[in-house]
Amino acid sequence: MSKYVTRKVFAGSGVLAAVWAGALGMAVAQPTAGGPKAAKAAKAAKPAKVDVVAASAALVGTDAKAAAQAATDLGTSDTTAAHEALLNGLAGGLAAGVAEPALAAVAMHPGPADVATLAVYAGHRDADIRIAALTALSAYPAPGARALLVAGLGDAVEPVRAAAIDALVRAKSKAGIDRMIALLGKNEDAAIAGVAALADVDLARKLADQIGKLADAPLAVCLGKILLRADFTTSDDARLQIVTALGKIPASEALAALGDYIEATPPKPPRPSRKEAEAVLSARMGGG
Amino acid sequence: MRRLASTAVLALVGTLAACGGASAFRLTSDDNNPERLGEALAQRQLGGGLGAIAGDHHARVFAVVSGTPRKLVAYDLSQGSQAWTVDADVQSRVVVGRDFVAAVEGSDLVVRSQLSGDVRWKAPLPDAFVGLSADEDRVFVVTHTEGGAKATYWLTAYGAGSGETLWKADAPGQLGAPAAQGGLVFSPFVKQWLSVLDARTGAQLTRIRGIDEEISFVRTTSDGTWFGSTDGAFRLDERAASGRRADATYGKVKLPPQLAKATFAPDAYDPVQAGYSASDRVRILWRGDARAEGPLTFVDGGVAVHYFRFVLGYDNAGTLRWAYSHPRVELVASEHLGTVLAAVSQTGELVALDPATGGVRHQAALDVGTGRVLGATFDADGWAPPGPTIESGGTVAALVSIARDRDSRFDQIKELAIAALAKLPDANVTADLLALLDDPRTPTKLKDLVGDVLVARKDPAGLPALLTGLAKRTDYVDGTQASDVGVLARAVGALGETNLDAGARSTAVGALAAHLRAPGTPLTDLVDVIAALGALGGHDAADALRAHLMLYRVDADLGATPEWGAALVAALLRCAGPEGRETLRYVSVEPRTTPSLAALAAAAVKSRN
Repeated sequence: MSKYVTRKVFAGSGVLAAVWAGALGMAVAQPTAGGPKAAKAAKAAKPAKVDVVAASAALVGTDAKAAAQAATDLGTSDTTAAHEALLNGLAGGLAAGVAEPALAAVAMHPGPADVATLAVYAGHRDADIRIAALTALSAYPAPGARALLVAGLGDAVEPVRAAAIDALVRAKSKAGIDRMIALLGKNEDAAIAGVAALADVDLARKLADQIGKLADAPLAVCLGKILLRADFTTSDDARLQIVTALGKIPASEALAALGDYIEATPPKPPRPSRKEAEAVLSARMGGG
Repeated sequence: MRRLASTAVLALVGTLAACGGASAFRLTSDDNNPERLGEALAQRQLGGGLGAIAGDHHARVFAVVSGTPRKLVAYDLSQGSQAWTVDADVQSRVVVGRDFVAAVEGSDLVVRSQLSGDVRWKAPLPDAFVGLSADEDRVFVVTHTEGGAKATYWLTAYGAGSGETLWKADAPGQLGAPAAQGGLVFSPFVKQWLSVLDARTGAQLTRIRGIDEEISFVRTTSDGTWFGSTDGAFRLDERAASGRRADATYGKVKLPPQLAKATFAPDAYDPVQAGYSASDRVRILWRGDARAEGPLTFVDGGVAVHYFRFVLGYDNAGTLRWAYSHPRVELVASEHLGTVLAAVSQTGELVALDPATGGVRHQAALDVGTGRVLGATFDADGWAPPGPTIESGGTVAALVSIARDRDSRFDQIKELAIAALAKLPDANVTADLLALLDDPRTPTKLKDLVGDVLVARKDPAGLPALLTGLAKRTDYVDGTQASDVGVLARAVGALGETNLDAGARSTAVGALAAHLRAPGTPLTDLVDVIAALGALGGHDAADALRAHLMLYRVDADLGATPEWGAALVAALLRCAGPEGRETLRYVSVEPRTTPSLAALAAAAVKSRN
């Protein structure tokens, strides 16, 4: 069977995957060849010298260990041949244990035809493979890739949802942020950390408005994590708003978050947000 | 066929021989004499057929209502209002004469004015009550004593005006509840005979012996007298003297097995049915043609069956014609009045249905207060409700209502309703059936039946509803769950045999392929999805199947599952043409393919070469 026919089948399937992603209201487009950030990442890693022919053969061989190593090796090569070998291998079907390193390898040098193939593995019945595919998709800025990550937030398996969250955070994308907040409300650790990592001032304000609508404990933990982010904002007003919001949350996690903030920030120069945090703690713990 | 056991007959003959005497129920009798029967029927004064309601004779219904004490409510259908209501501890059925009604109240026989409900007279029942009837001017009561070695049954005639005993006739064998009409009394006797007596004197005029069917009921309508058993009904005419089904005006009804318990009339020998009972809620509503020659035919070309809350219309071939579902409460009494089917509910609602279409012709409230109607008697033969047919949901809506009913007593009827829906071309039926699947309270057995019906319908008009069902996805954030994917897939796949247009086919393929790719599709559903894609065919279906095959052929779990592999191979052979066979050939020889799948693929390729 020609590899062209096999890839064509997967490409067709990718079109169907695009129809599915379209159901989420996201336009689908193939990624441009890597983009500036991907190119920068590829440049940063020194391309390895890989025997692409041998690795290609090993990738689709019966020795699973060798196949997995071949996948990793092919990922270190920036050649078109290496990339094609990975895509062809995935299109022909790779078993668990080989598919994961192959998916990671593809994303090392993102290319225009990749998302359709990754989309197929993002829906694989094996959760580990889905995790690998979603993780790889973080390297692709195209709307279709983002749509797949947003869809992954709704996976039935928690580690898969966590992988989708991590991928969106790595991509610094707020696509599907409302779904991530919904997971935060269900007390999912990855969502708490993910929302905290992605939050800007506007999102933090939006979270503060969720007091009483989302569960107190995870909301407090998330706001606390935002407060501790060095890159969150230079504006103490914004931090003060978060401290004020934490002061309204009755959960013990809110007090813990305020305590962590006080510990992490120097007393001098004095800042209103720290002073407010101290006042809240004093009032809540003093019973006043 | 109900035959009296031959030993019982011999025993009875011996008993009768020992009794002898001048009783109407004699040992010897000129049974099955057509001339005598003809003479007796000639002296009968019928009420004038349908349309006898005229002048002072209003159409009425008399309902017994629960309470302490019970109440007897008279509702005038002709006037559309309640005529009267009285306290009355009614324990039997109510029977109706020219200007009176009669019933057992407490332990007395009580006759009341039909116009006012006032007691005209009452008399204590001498013995245990069996049944009663009335003609224009007389009341006829069957009782029995138990004393000594055997019971004695009595048929007693009372004058309705004064309560005087007109005559009494004893019988050494069991008498059933009688019927009376136009100067004749019809008395079932030990389940094999129907005695015809002169209502004035009690003298037996003739007697019919059932030779190949027992006689367990007799009833009268304004245009005739009918008798029979749970198997079928005879018209009382000269041909009835033959005693045989084949030579008499006899008919049966064809009904589905779920309605086998429905009867033509109350069992004259069952003491429970001497009063209103649950058996009144499972009743065949029928009207024999009083004029036709040959076998008994049913007016309007069929019958209806009253089954608790539901009334179902059937033609003579046993095909469902229409359905009616009464809202919320059960119908406790019903009657075929010749022009309409009338029924009364537990809460006193009266409804009249068109016998041919099930259309609602009339609705009224009997105003029974807070009590529950225990039963009712109609004196309304030929009543034609005023006004046009009232808009109601129709048969499909009624069948859907039946199928969705929560009462587990009706599971068999729900099966019947679902099976009936399967044959209806209405485009909304598929959506209605899918709603049953969606309802978590639908029992598993019914869901299985719904699935079978959806597949069997092959209804292209139902495709949008099926695709709506397939559009449901499992999403943890949204809290949604794909459901019934297998059933929906099979139903969609069945449409592959119909002339689906290209656009519809393509949309269906897309919907199925989404579940092919969904990681959580259960194996059994996945197999159905694969089969459905194979049935729909086309390049898009073939591509989806080939991609799925390539993805999982090396998978240690799915790739080694026999039913999955078999379904996939079969679907590809069916729809993927040469490309499909090439893919299978490749899969069969590529060393990483799971062995079981490779073998299936190899066998498939070989069989096609």
